[in-house]
Amino acid sequence: MNTLIYTACLGLFCMLAEIFNLRKWIIPTVVLGLAVIFSLNLNDWNHPSSHYNDMLRVDNFSVAFSGLALLICTFLFMLSSDFYRSEENQKHISDYMAILVFVLCGALMMVSFGNLVMLFLGIETLSISLYVMAGSNRNDLRSNEAGFKYFLLGAFTSGFLLFGIALIYGASNSFNLQDIYTYVSSNGNNISPLFIVGMLLMIFAMLFKISAAPFHFWAPDVYEGSPALVTAFMSTLVKIAAFAAFYRLISNCFLFTLQKAELILTVSCIATLFIGNLTALVQDNFKRLLAFSGISHAGYMLLAIISLQSNTDSVLFYYATGYALSSIAAFAVVIAVIGITNSEKINSLNGLGKKNPILATLLTMAMLSLAGIPPFAGFFGKYFIFSEALRNGYSYLVLIAIINSIIGVYYYLKPVMAMYGGAANQDEIKLPISYSLVLWTCVILSLLLGIFPDLFVTLL
Amino acid sequence: MNETLTDIFSIPVILIPLLPLLGFFVISLFGKQLKKSSGWLGSFTVIASFLCSLYIFLNLPAESSTTITISNWFYFKDIFIPIAFLIDSLTVTMLLVVTGVGALIHIYSIGYMHHDEGFSRFFSYLNLFIFFMLMLVMGSNYLIMFIGWEGVGLCSYLLIGFWFKNDAYNDAAKKAFIMNRIGDLGFLIGMFILLFHFGSLEYQNVFEKASLLGSGNFTLFAATLCLFIGAIGKSAQIPLYTWLPDAMAGPTPVSALIHAATMVTAGVYMIARSNILFALAPLTSTIILCVGIATAFFAAIIGLKQNDIKKVLAYSTVSQLGYMFAAIGVGAYKAAIFHVVTHAFFKALLFLGSGSVIHAMSGEQDIRKMGGLKKSLPITHFTFLIGTLAISGVPFFAGFFSKDEILASIYANQSLLLFTVLTITTVISAVYMFRLYFLTFLGDFRGTEDQKKHLHKSPATITVPLIILAILATLGGFLGMPEIFHAKHFLGDYLSSSITNNSANYASHYFEYGLILISIVVITIVIFSTYRFYVSKKNLPESDEIELNIFSKLVSNKFYVDEIYDKIFVRPLMLLSNLFLVLVDKLFIDLIVNLTGFLTVSSARVLRLIQSGNTGFYLFTMVICMVVLLLFQIFSII
Repeated sequence: MNTLIYTACLGLFCMLAEIFNLRKWIIPTVVLGLAVIFSLNLNDWNHPSSHYNDMLRVDNFSVAFSGLALLICTFLFMLSSDFYRSEENQKHISDYMAILVFVLCGALMMVSFGNLVMLFLGIETLSISLYVMAGSNRNDLRSNEAGFKYFLLGAFTSGFLLFGIALIYGASNSFNLQDIYTYVSSNGNNISPLFIVGMLLMIFAMLFKISAAPFHFWAPDVYEGSPALVTAFMSTLVKIAAFAAFYRLISNCFLFTLQKAELILTVSCIATLFIGNLTALVQDNFKRLLAFSGISHAGYMLLAIISLQSNTDSVLFYYATGYALSSIAAFAVVIAVIGITNSEKINSLNGLGKKNPILATLLTMAMLSLAGIPPFAGFFGKYFIFSEALRNGYSYLVLIAIINSIIGVYYYLKPVMAMYGGAANQDEIKLPISYSLVLWTCVILSLLLGIFPDLFVTLL
Repeated sequence: MNETLTDIFSIPVILIPLLPLLGFFVISLFGKQLKKSSGWLGSFTVIASFLCSLYIFLNLPAESSTTITISNWFYFKDIFIPIAFLIDSLTVTMLLVVTGVGALIHIYSIGYMHHDEGFSRFFSYLNLFIFFMLMLVMGSNYLIMFIGWEGVGLCSYLLIGFWFKNDAYNDAAKKAFIMNRIGDLGFLIGMFILLFHFGSLEYQNVFEKASLLGSGNFTLFAATLCLFIGAIGKSAQIPLYTWLPDAMAGPTPVSALIHAATMVTAGVYMIARSNILFALAPLTSTIILCVGIATAFFAAIIGLKQNDIKKVLAYSTVSQLGYMFAAIGVGAYKAAIFHVVTHAFFKALLFLGSGSVIHAMSGEQDIRKMGGLKKSLPITHFTFLIGTLAISGVPFFAGFFSKDEILASIYANQSLLLFTVLTITTVISAVYMFRLYFLTFLGDFRGTEDQKKHLHKSPATITVPLIILAILATLGGFLGMPEIFHAKHFLGDYLSSSITNNSANYASHYFEYGLILISIVVITIVIFSTYRFYVSKKNLPESDEIELNIFSKLVSNKFYVDEIYDKIFVRPLMLLSNLFLVLVDKLFIDLIVNLTGFLTVSSARVLRLIQSGNTGFYLFTMVICMVVLLLFQIFSII
């Protein structure tokens, strides 16, 4: 809980910094602050507690995912100093930073809620901040469009979420996770149809948040239109927070009734995998490619939720970490390349292998990890999810997922081919130190996770 | 397993492979900035590993062993593979040899490779090699060993083709890699058999379960035979030995480190490690014995007619490896490891000495163009002489004791015939080694004037390792003296805890005395006759143009084995693969592949259309999907 309060204070600091003319210090302070909060957060490990009438519940699951969220944000804020270096952006830097920190606040609420109200508040805090950030590049029409589209579709689904929560309240007389759980387990087969419909509506809303098909339409457009750094936030922090919330909701409330939503989840999982991977094949915009890659990864994570087991949380955590690390590395390169060539096309990477071999190698490793090739974390993440699903008898889903992994290799290798083939068409890319630091850390961590998966999987 | 031992040793044990690995990363990433200091950095990591190994050797009691688990790598169903290191007397022996000889060769390379433009690259590869070799000997299961096994193969490939601008060298590298792959397939199959039958690859579990099976069990026979095929590839035995002589294309320190002292003995180590399995498979042991003796004899004969200084040593290595396998074949695992150790000393010495000669001769390798180098290269000459004495089995040098132990155990366990063949082989090796020595160092200088002018002494980085190795090659034999000297067999006793199935019988004392006497007499005759032939009468090996008689022609062309392999295996395979290329690949597989790709991409183009960018359409589709899914879900529940 302290984690959330400290983070909110950090957001307030960003707003105050504007008044006291401390703009220069905002980003270093935020990065440092997040690092400190990250270590404070670890103090809660193995100290479960609940706060404010069980509104927030701190347990190892929430500590782990909070830690991951803080780590992702630390990396992304390290990238932001260079991203917002222009004078126009410097004017609004405190707004941007404050809003992004509030995105993190929303994510922290989503991973540690103990009450459906808190879940809703978390989702809204995160989403509203993101609507603003998606449209933050005011001079760019596409950015405006992205912000507006995201807002329209997001607000629409919030309605479903609220309606679902209301129905569940109607059936179980409570917003509290524990009470709802008790209601489900004590009523056995006599669960009210209201409850089931409420659950399904909530699942629809969550599927929207994790950008699973057929609720994924917003993702490619919004990802493409938003500023690259915001896209990085969406495809890593937001996606993982939404998944953690989804998992928390299901494992704490709907464990016994999940079977009644199996059709929806299965259809969604298969559709997500195919739409994500197939549509990614024909993209030539790197950011959009990563958006579809994010959709397809949501499909794999859905597979983990469908075959829910006692140790699914650690598998999901491992997968999310591996995905986040590789995605951040990929985005760091995208942001660097966009900054220099002003182009988001994959072919703007042409010749990078010769101009900057180390950058090219790191991006290659990140792409291989996303494609799920050993020895990177991406491989073992997929391996664990598939073996869990196999053990629970979902072999047909695993088969579909494997076919999709094979399709995935094709488009993940597209940027790699561009880097090592093709004539160079950009000047030398000189990375700021913060970028190299983030890139190296992400790739090395991803490699370490892949070599020693066991250290991590037994964590939760 | 002893808990306290694990605690004490975990740090040095982890450091041993970690340091060379770090060295590899640092040198390969910052090689340009490090320039020549990468040589010292590379050497330092290996020296540090050697010190760690020494620490373990001094502190770990010979009879105890410890397993240090780094990580529980992965589970699959009931199969559990950890990344763990098994440290016992056999591992420690190999560790000392690998890091000790490895460190000397690193230091030597600083002088030898000084002018090479790939200096940093060379040291990064060498460090990587040491890392994989250490994984190979330290792993506590067959999979870790296999990782090391493949890794050293890779490094061997990279280093043979180190001067990659020369196509012949690249071909040699490819040959080594491909021949090793054949063996590796055997190793893999062997591993799968073990995994299938014992459900584990951990040495401890496999050995425990294997010893419940009786001797002569078919599973054990199949598994050990497959493992032995792996060893044949890596340790260059008949029929997969032809890559090793070609591997001499690599820089000489590589030949010394990889193709003489360490990697090629990996097969011997692997079998000694699995001695419990092989002891229960008598048929495999017999096959190993025959292959070993045939290789020893055959390679020695070819060695007689080679004129390239490194090729002679290469065939001698193949022959010596044959000895080790012969020893394994009769169950004398300790003798085999003993010979691995002494052979590492004297063969590394000989290779480094030959490197020093080649260095001085500005790259000349043909012994017909050398001669009289005694004066200009005194240290190299003296140390090379010691190496020659040691490998020829002159009494009280290192090779004498280990070779005698092997001969004696073969005599005691098997027929007189095999013993005789191996004894004759010993005589032949003495002949080709002294031929090499006399032609290179004595007599008159036969090179060009230009080379004579450039003859220069080698720097200290080259001579110091030579001297240290010469001392080891002289005294190394005292690690394992035969019983008749009433001394302790240090190495044998030390290895007792890890090699429990040393089934070899030892020969009687009279036999030992006889053997020593005979070797002294024979060696003296060999030395005098080769001296008379090559130095006094100044006979030279024929130059390539002269017509030879059939036997000489056969031998100097290495029995045409390469040509035969080419006719029997390579060409038919090429033909077959061309056939498949045209008939199967181009006609069918390409069609299927292209069709799949086409269909996938087409469906992607269709799917793309739903991503229209129209918000109203998005909302509409979402709601329709939601309603349909909700209805279906609710009906399916009811």
